[in-house]
Amino acid sequence: MFDYVSFFQNLSNGVLIGAVYALIGVGLTLVFGVMRTINFAHGDFVVLGMYFAVVFNAVFGWDPYLTLFLAIPAGFIVGALMQKYLLARVIDAKPETMMLATLGVSLVIANVLLLVFGGEPKSVNVPYAAGTFNVGEIRISVVLLFAGLATLAVIIGLYLLLNRTEVGRAIRATAENRLGAELVGINTKKIQAIVFGLGMALAVTAGVALIPLLFASPVTTGALFTLKAFVVTVLGGLGNIGAAIVGGLLLGVVEVLGASYLDSAYRDAYGLLVFVIVLLVKPEGLFGKSVKRV
Amino acid sequence: MSRNVLILLGLLVAGALYPLTGSAFITVGISVLLFTGWATSWNLLGGWAGQLSLGHASFVGLGAYIVAVGASQFGIAPWWSVLISMAVAGVLAAVWGKLTFGLRGPYFSLSTIAIAEIMRLVAINEGWLTGGASGVFIDSLPEPFGIDLFDKTAQYYLALLYAAITIGITLFISSRRFGYQLKAVRDNEEAAMAAGINPSVVKLKAFVLSGMLTALGGGVYGIFLSFIEPHLIFNLLLSIQIALTVIIGGRGTIWGPAVGAALLVIAGEIFRTAFAQANLLVYGVLILVVILVLPRGIVGEYVHKLVRRKYAKRA
Repeated sequence: MFDYVSFFQNLSNGVLIGAVYALIGVGLTLVFGVMRTINFAHGDFVVLGMYFAVVFNAVFGWDPYLTLFLAIPAGFIVGALMQKYLLARVIDAKPETMMLATLGVSLVIANVLLLVFGGEPKSVNVPYAAGTFNVGEIRISVVLLFAGLATLAVIIGLYLLLNRTEVGRAIRATAENRLGAELVGINTKKIQAIVFGLGMALAVTAGVALIPLLFASPVTTGALFTLKAFVVTVLGGLGNIGAAIVGGLLLGVVEVLGASYLDSAYRDAYGLLVFVIVLLVKPEGLFGKSVKRV
Repeated sequence: MSRNVLILLGLLVAGALYPLTGSAFITVGISVLLFTGWATSWNLLGGWAGQLSLGHASFVGLGAYIVAVGASQFGIAPWWSVLISMAVAGVLAAVWGKLTFGLRGPYFSLSTIAIAEIMRLVAINEGWLTGGASGVFIDSLPEPFGIDLFDKTAQYYLALLYAAITIGITLFISSRRFGYQLKAVRDNEEAAMAAGINPSVVKLKAFVLSGMLTALGGGVYGIFLSFIEPHLIFNLLLSIQIALTVIIGGRGTIWGPAVGAALLVIAGEIFRTAFAQANLLVYGVLILVVILVLPRGIVGEYVHKLVRRKYAKRA
């Protein structure tokens, strides 16, 4: 007899953790859409968010979700400055040059964090960490729900920004055709800085939302998140925000279901396997428009 | 070209004399030579064929594991097991390349990370094959001609031989038809196709050769470590280190990987006391500097300047 309760339990966990993956993926895909480059430091931005929450919790005793009000603007400003003063210098070089530059940024962030905080994994204790509430027979973790809700709020905000404001229109125009956008008077350098800032703010939000659940450790966690973000975005198709959200949910569900019904030691491998298969069979992503290859 | 051969011979002699100085830094020498070999092998694919792989630690791991498991569980002598590992690496690279060369630019790099990561998880979880997360320990090795392979000096000469083989092969290829085909594909795939070159075949050959040579170095590394842990050797950071060594030194050049390896390993050693485990900081800072100031890499910029001067004189 198939156990429906545990199936829906796993499904709900998968969807909620997937929402956070979606948040990470959306930032990466947004940056890819405008910059046409993959940001290797994205996962390290997530880890920066985690440490941000850890520091404010340790020094001022703030709740991690309270630090979001500081972390989001801080992430935006740092990201925009990084684009303006560092990455803008190589934006017109070959795409892989930009990728290598972000790889360098990633190594610098990870190793500076290692120098400052040491290799010990760090986390934040919140009183509601083990709290759950029941929907029927399914138990939902409070922390996971908060993470899911924070993701939802940020994604709605991003949607409104992109579709209802002048800046959002300029961002979409730049993503679609940079030269065309410049011709109609959009300052694409400024838009790129804004987008990189937004990408970093989204990554930092995901990090803060995850810290009550996961441990932050400087070197390995960042690379893992970058990889997950790649998986999420490639599943959906690079540069497509709606698809990244679906990709994130899909990754969360695949991981949780794979871990509980197959072998849990391979939890991280299931997503990667799906990722490689999608790359090979449909490199434009599950929802991407197929482009005929010559 | 003969000048490059002379440089190689000169370096070989200097390298062979180095242990006689009784230097205390013999393990640093081994690291430099291993990284030189890996980076030179990576350069065949990443520099000459222009395919940026971030999964070469898989081949290092393959070589190291087959040598270690062969020695500790089956009593196979390392010179046989290293040949086995090269064969396995060649097959792996052929399948891997066949699957992923349809992908371009960032997609190819991403697929290499994913495949390498899957291999790492397999190495950690399939304990019957690899000793699992706790690793494999080589406790005894045969003594060919009475040479103790656990001796650091012997390992140094193995690493020297390995680095020389990879540079020698690169030198051999660079002036042959295959070398020109590789450069043509890297510079413009469409134009290469128009000239009658099949880019997929050329890239596949480069990948197979690159993978086999990396596995050979992995075997030497396995003997050098004599204790192998999957999460250390199948590490994404090792793949990144190998790739950055070449890019900092100069992609598509003959001496770039060696210069990069010497610079990065020695810099890493100098800063080891200051940064402890964070010594990859050096790689991060250097890659940013190279990208902003010397986009062709150290040796690449030098060669570029030489070539320009030559043409300027002629004009």
